[in-house]
Amino acid sequence: MPTAVPLARRAFLARIGILGAALGGGGLLTRSLLNPADAATNPLLPPTVDLLRPVLAALARDTMNGLTVFCQPGPDAYSRTQGTVSKTPGAMESGATNFIIESLDNFVPFPDALAQPIGAAMVTGLADTGIVLPGLELLPPQLRQLDKALAALLQSDEALPLSLPIAMLLNLMATQVNPLAVNGPHLSPFARLTYAEKASAFELIEKTDADLVALLDVQFPEPLKESVSGLLKFVGGALIEFGTFGAYSEYAVFDPKTRKLKGRPVSWQLSGYQPDGPVEGWDDFIGYYQGRTEVHD
Amino acid sequence: MRDVIVIGAGGGGPVVAKELAAKGLDVLVLEAGPRHAKPRDEWTTFENDANNPLSGYFRLGPTDRSKPAWYREWPQNSFVWQLSGVGGTTQHFYGNYPRAYPGVFKGYDGADRNEYDVNHRFPFTYKEMVPYFEWVEALMPVQTAAMGHKEQLFFKGAETMGLPVQTTKTTLRASYRPQENAILQPQGTAGKTSDKNLLNFPQAKGCTFCGYCFQGCMRPKGAPRNQFAKRSTDNSYVPMALTAEVWATGGRPAELIADAYVTQVHSEKRNGVLTATGVTWRDNVTGDEHREDAKVVVMAGGCTENPRLWFNSGLPNPNDWVGRGYTDHFFDWMIGSFDDYTGNPKGVGSSARLDYPPYGGLENVGLPPALSAFSASLSDSGIRGQYKNGRGATGPWDGPAGRVAGPELKELLSGGIDKLLTVLVITDDDVEAQNRVTLSALPADENGPIPKVTFKQRQRTKRTLKNREFMARKAAELLRGAGAKKVYRIDWAPLILHVQSSMRMGESENNSVLDARGESRAVKRLFIADNSALPNGLGGPNPTLTSQALATRTAEKIFQTYFGGDPWVLKEAPVVSTDPRISVRLGQLGL
Ligand SMILES: Cc1cc2nc3c(=O)[nH]c(=O)nc-3n(C[C@H](O)[C@H](O)[C@H](O)COP(=O)(O)OP(=O)(O)OC[C@H]3O[C@@H](n4cnc5c(N)ncnc54)[C@H](O)[C@@H]3O)c2cc1C
Ligand code: SF4
Repeated sequence: MPTAVPLARRAFLARIGILGAALGGGGLLTRSLLNPADAATNPLLPPTVDLLRPVLAALARDTMNGLTVFCQPGPDAYSRTQGTVSKTPGAMESGATNFIIESLDNFVPFPDALAQPIGAAMVTGLADTGIVLPGLELLPPQLRQLDKALAALLQSDEALPLSLPIAMLLNLMATQVNPLAVNGPHLSPFARLTYAEKASAFELIEKTDADLVALLDVQFPEPLKESVSGLLKFVGGALIEFGTFGAYSEYAVFDPKTRKLKGRPVSWQLSGYQPDGPVEGWDDFIGYYQGRTEVHD
Repeated sequence: MRDVIVIGAGGGGPVVAKELAAKGLDVLVLEAGPRHAKPRDEWTTFENDANNPLSGYFRLGPTDRSKPAWYREWPQNSFVWQLSGVGGTTQHFYGNYPRAYPGVFKGYDGADRNEYDVNHRFPFTYKEMVPYFEWVEALMPVQTAAMGHKEQLFFKGAETMGLPVQTTKTTLRASYRPQENAILQPQGTAGKTSDKNLLNFPQAKGCTFCGYCFQGCMRPKGAPRNQFAKRSTDNSYVPMALTAEVWATGGRPAELIADAYVTQVHSEKRNGVLTATGVTWRDNVTGDEHREDAKVVVMAGGCTENPRLWFNSGLPNPNDWVGRGYTDHFFDWMIGSFDDYTGNPKGVGSSARLDYPPYGGLENVGLPPALSAFSASLSDSGIRGQYKNGRGATGPWDGPAGRVAGPELKELLSGGIDKLLTVLVITDDDVEAQNRVTLSALPADENGPIPKVTFKQRQRTKRTLKNREFMARKAAELLRGAGAKKVYRIDWAPLILHVQSSMRMGESENNSVLDARGESRAVKRLFIADNSALPNGLGGPNPTLTSQALATRTAEKIFQTYFGGDPWVLKEAPVVSTDPRISVRLGQLGL
């Protein structure tokens, strides 16, 4: 019989979203699945890890849905939860979630050197985050296995996509802003926030002396210490900036093979940009200011 | 052994290559990134396809877009916009070619002389620079910009500010004007029709007002490469360098190798003096290393890459100024929304400006939707109406400064992209040792340890901060004068694309890397000829004209010092880069 996971640890797993995604009401793993599976794909890792990977990917995607509708709200369920539902198409239609996941996962050419340690630091170093969450003491002992599987994955040399620790970071901040976000619709605590709460989560991330970021630094040896906090400061801003760029670009309808568009991009529909598609030129030449075509000293 | 090896084919490198190829020297240009020889097959007009910093055709990375981009560390919310490839960052620039303000040069004695960055002036006079400005202006050629609707509106705003119109090349006082642009102005059908069928060269010549400067200029359709409207160096200096034998008496074409990443500058002691001897470069495709020796090595990899190459080559840094003093015009961004049509995404990115020495300047910037949205969301002041990140300045704009994001941004853009007028706020910023390039502790890439660009935007000098606030207020005034119903100030986080002075030339050997001739103080026969060589931020004008004028001067110094030649700029007239002899030769070369 596995020993129960300490309360603070449970709270942490709940806060980064993993607990809920795996075991919560709409969780992706039924509890029985957490009993040892048959054959592991990676013999060095506990078999539960195989079950965990898709959960983590789904959690990351769900969190990023919460992010991209923050950048560009639309008619979807995430925008509704956020309280900014609108009739016109938004991030779900403009493919912004795929865009941001792709961007994060390819952001550094050395993910194993970065995503791995950030993820590990978060999970091993920030467990006791000091927020009491209701109801966690009732969680099943199988939680222990989930935690072990997560720790094993993070400590292995399996490449971890950067979108995962970034999603965990957003979720951690989300539950700091609103502890009740550990439960509710969607998989991710961040996706459960209102627009204003999401903004407050970003406020925490962007604070120049962000406590969390400072805490993370402690987990790294010199000279990487400041690089990790610096990177997170950059990513904090970039999540909004690039999420927005992607949402307003042609990303979703661009066919790289033909280098043509398969439809009209969401942002073009919204903004009226080039109503008849790409041009060779415009008839916008009025003349020269004050008729002057050259100047000299 | 080559006469000269030039590292980097961006804004600066091709200038030296072209000038020295014209003098018959054996010049090799090594460019880390791709050579877009067939833009119609390689480019589109789409924002993500072009400008995605990880995978776009305009990025910092090798030709093969399935390979990762070259990651650079920025330990703050910021964005350093540099491109690899023939043409470098000029591939997606706007061709705005104002001259540096006279006040940033040695010997300036105007009434406002003490109000510039007085500790970091050019080590020679404005008067000495003028012939080099004129040389580049004639060669490009630089022309007074045509006006579209967004410019007309900008002028309408400027007219309310009590300032004169500048009708000289030199900026003498606060004033506004059409840009002087390195862009061939519209002729024939260009700018007068949106009908594709009427916009082929030579029926259309010069700028067709397509609005795709950021995605690369390949217009008018069917024009030879050296007659595309925008004079990025891939359309101007590079074609000249590659065809020097047909337009210069005694000229010898430079050799250009793309996908060639220089990883080492070699040096040795000669008679007790450290001297550059050549370079090692790595082929991005095969990974093979090559070594070439040269009599003179010219670094032109840009403000971020030169310091990295310097450090990775183990070159000395006696006064600790390698990589320091990086200036970026500490930009800000102001958006005006209008009831009426503004023409925002049409025409050259910017064709109107307002200069305000010794504070900085303003220019209009038209952008397509994704870049507009990105520009509205890059801020150090949180999100308007939500949080301020410790800032959120108020002033003659609406509400606190900050990101226009989420529902507000959607509403703004849904009002119509052509109902916006956006103004770039350019700050005359000080050279500061703390803003710098160092080596990153993050993992090295295939070319060695990577650079890290640190900007302490909140701790800039009093003068820099004051200038930025001053210009931001002027921008709001201009937009209100133009009739904006709402004005948003974004308070940009550093968007580092007017890059200057990270390997600065200076009078004092205590705070400069280069002497007044552009040669490095620590290593002889090693010159730097790009924006990093600039002594300061120029007072705010866009840097490329001044950088190219300085590179032309440096080419003369190289020729005089190491090849026993005479300077030519005062004696000769330049061949214009659109010269048909160049076009014909490019055709023969399949370019
Ligand atoms: C969106 C945008 C708009 C702009 N608009 C204007 C404008 O209107 N007017 C203006 O004056 N300026 C403008 N600029 C700035 C302008 O692009 C720069 O001033 C100019 O490109 C700088 O030239 P450079 O040679 O210093 O660097 P770059 O142009 O960046 O060129 C450096 C080149 O060196 C290569 N390189 C680097 N390291 C190595 C190495 N180790 N080995 C081989 N090759 C190497 C790079 O791949 C690159 O091609 C703009 C910039 C941006 C981003
Ligand atoms: S607007 Fe003019 S200069 Fe810019 S890309 Fe189009 S044709 Fe070229």
